Amino acid sequence: MFFSKKFSPQAIRKTALMATVVCSMALTGCASNNMHDTAEIADPFEDFNRLTFDMNNALDEAIMEPIARGYRYVTPEFVRNSVRNALRNLKSPVNIANQVLQGDVEGAAGDVTRMMVNTTFGIGGLFDVAASAGIPYEKEDFGQTLAVWGVDHGPYVMVPFFGPSSFRDSAGILVDTFADPLNLYLSNTDQEEWIYARAGVTALATREEFLDIVKDLRENSFDYYAAVRSAYVQRRAAQVNDQDPELSAAPAIPDYDDDY
Amino acid sequence: MGVMQKKSFRFFPLLSAALLTSGLSAPAVSYALPLDVAASGFAINSSYMTVASDATQQGEGARNFIDSMAGRAIEFLGDEAMSTDAKKNSFKKLLKDSFDMNTIGRFAMGRYWRSASPQQRDEYQKLFETMVVEVYSQRFSDYQGQRFEARTYRADGEKDTIVTSFIIPDQGSEIQIDWRVRYKDGKYKVIDIIVEGVSMSVTQRSDFSSVIQRGGGNVQVLIDHLREKTKG
Repeated sequence: MFFSKKFSPQAIRKTALMATVVCSMALTGCASNNMHDTAEIADPFEDFNRLTFDMNNALDEAIMEPIARGYRYVTPEFVRNSVRNALRNLKSPVNIANQVLQGDVEGAAGDVTRMMVNTTFGIGGLFDVAASAGIPYEKEDFGQTLAVWGVDHGPYVMVPFFGPSSFRDSAGILVDTFADPLNLYLSNTDQEEWIYARAGVTALATREEFLDIVKDLRENSFDYYAAVRSAYVQRRAAQVNDQDPELSAAPAIPDYDDDY
Repeated sequence: MGVMQKKSFRFFPLLSAALLTSGLSAPAVSYALPLDVAASGFAINSSYMTVASDATQQGEGARNFIDSMAGRAIEFLGDEAMSTDAKKNSFKKLLKDSFDMNTIGRFAMGRYWRSASPQQRDEYQKLFETMVVEVYSQRFSDYQGQRFEARTYRADGEKDTIVTSFIIPDQGSEIQIDWRVRYKDGKYKVIDIIVEGVSMSVTQRSDFSSVIQRGGGNVQVLIDHLREKTKG
């Protein structure tokens, strides 16, 4: 698959990083990222995206959602939390690298502490001891890093089998996947099945986490596609801002004075 | 650390879903800043600058308003003896007292408001409010018992305050909810809820706009959808 053993991990990483940065900059332009403009994203492939969205939804309702419900049904909450904690802990190196690339020294230090504390006291990452001690988890990825560097979303894309994304954010996912030290290690030691196992468990845990949100949006929006697109763009903007209350970016709402 | 408010990806898509779906527990509500502390902070400020003190006063007022509103919601949500209909009535009252539904509804219609006739506007606003009540009534039973804390606030423009609050579950991550509170005619009213960075008003407007746009720019298409949704 992605992980050819002809190349050294460093070479793969470098190439992927360069390719992604160059591509995303070329495709999206280096427009400065306006963090207060959260609701809009270009959707030039809307018709095609809607088709993909329908397919994703059909597959989700037939396969993924029932599996996620089953997972929720048979596991107690603390087990699911532990699974999520362990997955996050495995991804720590990627998180830390992105914190550094974003120039967030505090965030990076926090994540290094989190990884050390949770791996040891948290028994291999099963328990998020660090969060209880006041260093909560914070999702970082290369899409956010690109945003911090001033790269715009580019077009909105609905990725088959995956869900909402943008040129920038899907490029980010590729980089994070290629650059993940654990993935590199596993592919270099002929244990690629573990890469897929981890991806599968991650997909399951994420889908379970979103069960209520997705059900809610599906049932209570008139145009589910438009609602998801809007929520996605807003949510990503919030993640880029590290959800700082000082930067919370929801737009101003006019003062309607007239009695229409 | 400056990273205290960072959360996992969790949001709830519609107005005030946050309060209702995540659940809040009555005995555990914590009023982060008691009134006397707030007042003393205000007194110090006011001796320096009148303008700043007005802003501080409005911010404190907005936060206290959110705190007491949440307390009110928790009271009926957590009342196991109360019937769903009675809860629905309490919720309607809360909505009337604490939310500026006119502004919320009008914002959700976006630029299409201008092309709607007066009759359409009236009908839309009524249906919109009914929909909000119906949608949230379905969630009363999801209520489970978590703490609610209104922590910080900041001014946004002359009339608006963003109050940042958190829902704290027994296990798992806290959920950040920002409230846009407008002070107008001597009253505080909620005009937007932002759950983990996702504004309910903006999401709703995207949804509604798309429905109207795909219906050829006809507002009636949205109204028909609302009618369908709220009947029975």
